[in-house]
Amino acid sequence: MRTRSLSQLMPLIAPVHILILSVIVIPSLYVIWLSLGQSSFGQAQTFVGLQNYYNVLTDPAFRSALWNTVILVVVAVHVELAIGLGMALLFASGLPFRRFLLVAVLAPYAVSEVIAVVMWRFLFDPDAGPVTLVLKALGLPILDWSFEPTHAMILIALLTIWLHLPFTFIILYAARLAIPADLYEAARIDGATPFQSFRRVTMPLLGPAIIVALLFRYIFAFRIFSEVWLLTQGGPARSTEVVAVYLYQEAFSFNAFGTAAATAWIMVIVSLLLAAGYVFILRKQGAANAH
Amino acid sequence: MSDNFAKITRRGLLGTALGGAALLATRPSFAAGKTLNILSHKVHQTVLGTGDGDLLADWKKANDAELAFTTFDSNPLQDRLFREASLPSTDYGVGYIIDNRPTPDVAKLFAPLDDFLKSAPIENYEDIAPGLREAMTVGGKTIGIPVRHATGGLFYNEALLEEAGISAPPTTLEELIEQAGKLTFTAKDGTPVTGMIMASDLAVFPVSFARAYGGDYITKDFKLLPKPEAMEKALTVMADMFKAGALPRSYATTKNDDQVTWMQQGRAAFTMITFARYKQFNDPAQSKFPGKIKAVQFPKSQSYDGEMSAVTESWGMSIPANFADKELAWSYIREVSSPRVTLGMAKNGNGPVRVSTYADADFAAASPVAAAEAKALATARGAFPPFAEAARAQQLFLEDVQLAVLGRKTPAEAVESMAKRITPLLPA
Amino acid sequence: MRTRSLPISIGKAFAVAAILLWSLFPIAFIVMSSLKPGRDIFAVPPKYIFTPTFQHYASLWSEWGVFFNGLFNSTVITAGATVLAVTVSTCAGYVYSRNSSRFLNASVMFLIIVRLIPPIVVTLPLFPIINAMNLNDTHIVLMVLYATFFVSLGTVLMRTFIDQIPRELDEAAQIDGAGRLTILRRVIVPLAAPGILAVAVFVVVFAWNEYLFAFIFTATRAKTAPLVISEMIGSIDGVDWGILFAASTVQLAPVLLFVIFMNRYLVAGLTAGATKG
Repeated sequence: MRTRSLSQLMPLIAPVHILILSVIVIPSLYVIWLSLGQSSFGQAQTFVGLQNYYNVLTDPAFRSALWNTVILVVVAVHVELAIGLGMALLFASGLPFRRFLLVAVLAPYAVSEVIAVVMWRFLFDPDAGPVTLVLKALGLPILDWSFEPTHAMILIALLTIWLHLPFTFIILYAARLAIPADLYEAARIDGATPFQSFRRVTMPLLGPAIIVALLFRYIFAFRIFSEVWLLTQGGPARSTEVVAVYLYQEAFSFNAFGTAAATAWIMVIVSLLLAAGYVFILRKQGAANAH
Repeated sequence: MSDNFAKITRRGLLGTALGGAALLATRPSFAAGKTLNILSHKVHQTVLGTGDGDLLADWKKANDAELAFTTFDSNPLQDRLFREASLPSTDYGVGYIIDNRPTPDVAKLFAPLDDFLKSAPIENYEDIAPGLREAMTVGGKTIGIPVRHATGGLFYNEALLEEAGISAPPTTLEELIEQAGKLTFTAKDGTPVTGMIMASDLAVFPVSFARAYGGDYITKDFKLLPKPEAMEKALTVMADMFKAGALPRSYATTKNDDQVTWMQQGRAAFTMITFARYKQFNDPAQSKFPGKIKAVQFPKSQSYDGEMSAVTESWGMSIPANFADKELAWSYIREVSSPRVTLGMAKNGNGPVRVSTYADADFAAASPVAAAEAKALATARGAFPPFAEAARAQQLFLEDVQLAVLGRKTPAEAVESMAKRITPLLPA
Repeated sequence: MRTRSLPISIGKAFAVAAILLWSLFPIAFIVMSSLKPGRDIFAVPPKYIFTPTFQHYASLWSEWGVFFNGLFNSTVITAGATVLAVTVSTCAGYVYSRNSSRFLNASVMFLIIVRLIPPIVVTLPLFPIINAMNLNDTHIVLMVLYATFFVSLGTVLMRTFIDQIPRELDEAAQIDGAGRLTILRRVIVPLAAPGILAVAVFVVVFAWNEYLFAFIFTATRAKTAPLVISEMIGSIDGVDWGILFAASTVQLAPVLLFVIFMNRYLVAGLTAGATKG
């Protein structure tokens, strides 16, 4: 039974690999070839070596897009993690109607990015949005997102946190539930305060789940496109542009396929680096746990 | 094999994303023998009319053909059109192209129409405005037949002007700025009014202001900022208007559509937009001010005594070189360009490309701005000429304009940055 | 339940209220606004009590036929992508669960690495390929794309779920003379149903809501509902918010109910997927 030859197993695993090779891997490799040339409509490709990479990396617009993406990823993902962690602990501490509340928290997972943009644009409409009106009534500053780039970034961050919080929350909540109750009992008997038991029991045991959640979200948040595209198109004055929007502009507004392809591979490389960091940290932890 | 490889590579370059080839429209018609697929903006389909008002009903019957429109917004449309025309073959017979797009490289993708113009001429072709025909001629070849122009005029809300005690629309740019300042107020009905509204994602506005001072963005012979101090002055007055609240605070995200709704609702007193919008502004079903929104030519500064060209954008109908049934496509283009259909489309809100249309009594009656429009069209010119990096240049230009208007850069810095960043993009 | 001090209970009540407000208010507000008469949508202050009307749904029906085509396309594409992804993931997950070799381990690693490639990267070269196969603007393109971007996660998930099924069961079936496909169908599939449902939830939600690929690979025939809604946002005569909210509600309702109904499987899938994939 264990020694089935590979050829017998092939028919069952082949479909997955054929799909992935033909739709993702080969096209991605082809993008490398595109990134080494220069071309546009009605213009044959000329080989330019790494010139496109140089052009992209030295383009101030790309740098500002990269910077915006990094800020967005760092701020949104960490705020999301903090909220998710707080909610996981709240749920674990016992709540009435827990199943109902859990479903409520999951609800945004079902919402399309397009609909989410409709919702949040309307909630924060500078003239008549209900949130704007509440903020005004309370005498608080409103989100002036059509004018202030930082406010636009805040709105994008809120939107993306709202959409992805269910994911972060569930991972942390599941990990928290997996911590045996007697550990807390023991801590209590030793006279630990709730804060001490959080620091000594909860945090260390949640560590791996937190790293998993963080790195998943880093990698996925780095691709952010639809939220920004539908909300601001990168404006005002390209000040909220992110890397994926920069790529789209190069490819579809400027028809510069070479630089677009180079941008694409820069994205792939950054994602791989993030993942390598993830593997590295997990390995180190695995090693630490073994001792 | 090597041929084949070259072909695949070539497609790869062009490659990318927007897909094409709609073989059927959303609601395919089974009655007709043939279907002509057309790539256009929604507005090109709308002005042809529907039902009893279908301007092409006879043509469809005579040719036993149906039309299937695939419509996109302007930029995605041009992208899709060039993509389709780059393939070995396409199902799209007619594509609508914007006059600032056909660079020599792009023009190669479309069939030269000069032979068709000889073998099956368009009725009274000379009647089509020469400037528009010239814009569709690349390297001596006609690659498109003009079908629509959008020439900018200054629209104003007469009712609001009266309320602020202003009896006549501005005749100089200085007056316009002064009136826009006065019209930044709260109207009698409580609506907060902003003096002027303009989209921030189109070159038309800064270019018009610069031309009002005798300057420009890029001239026909590719001279960038021929009179930089005029551009600087233009940005200064726009920034001042913004600071005074005479441009909306949401300026940086304002789009063409916003101009229409703000004018209809009386939230803005002035805007600059194509004359053809007259009907929409004054439609009682949509507008709070039917019959009160009027237009004049955009005024020039009193300090400049030369001639000022209005900014125009025109569309042409072209045939992708890789489309098989070019006869059918040409027959459609001929019909749409005829004086009859041009007039019909004009009555449906299309900017007519034929000089004779403006002389038509019916049209003049339906569009009180016809005279102003005809006058503006006579000397109108595109915001910039076509070149390979035009889209990128426009983006850089608008970025600096926005930063200057929002007060994040001084006008002088913005003009300097434009010169520095756009110069390398111009054709050698 | 333990007795708690009053301040803690009050604090919790506030926290719960905040969570509910955060998660549900945006959704509720859209649904509510879709039922408001046009002039009340932008009323200041917002009206929370009003006579509901279906006028926007009626206008949606009469003016935006293309939206209902979009819903139909979304349904077909979602169903196709889900069946495809679930089938191939279950087959591969079964193999990876029951066998082990250097080649198989490497190929699982490969599946995981592939997930790191951002989807926007492949939009660049896929168009000529799809065109060469004459598949532009068809349902099948989106089905295959959506399924492919989930089969790697799907396979790893299915392996995790199938790992929990005792091997003795397949061995017993094998002794009874069952072939591999029969074991898969008769033993594995029924017992791995929660895993299959978890994978299905992921694919359904993704395929129903996806924007980028739909934006790039469809024109008219295969246009999906989210794409039609995004066009409404930028529609030529300005945004008609009432119709937009009605369309959003129609697009959202089925998938929201689905997620509510399937929440157990979603949670199981998220948990297993995050730790293993």
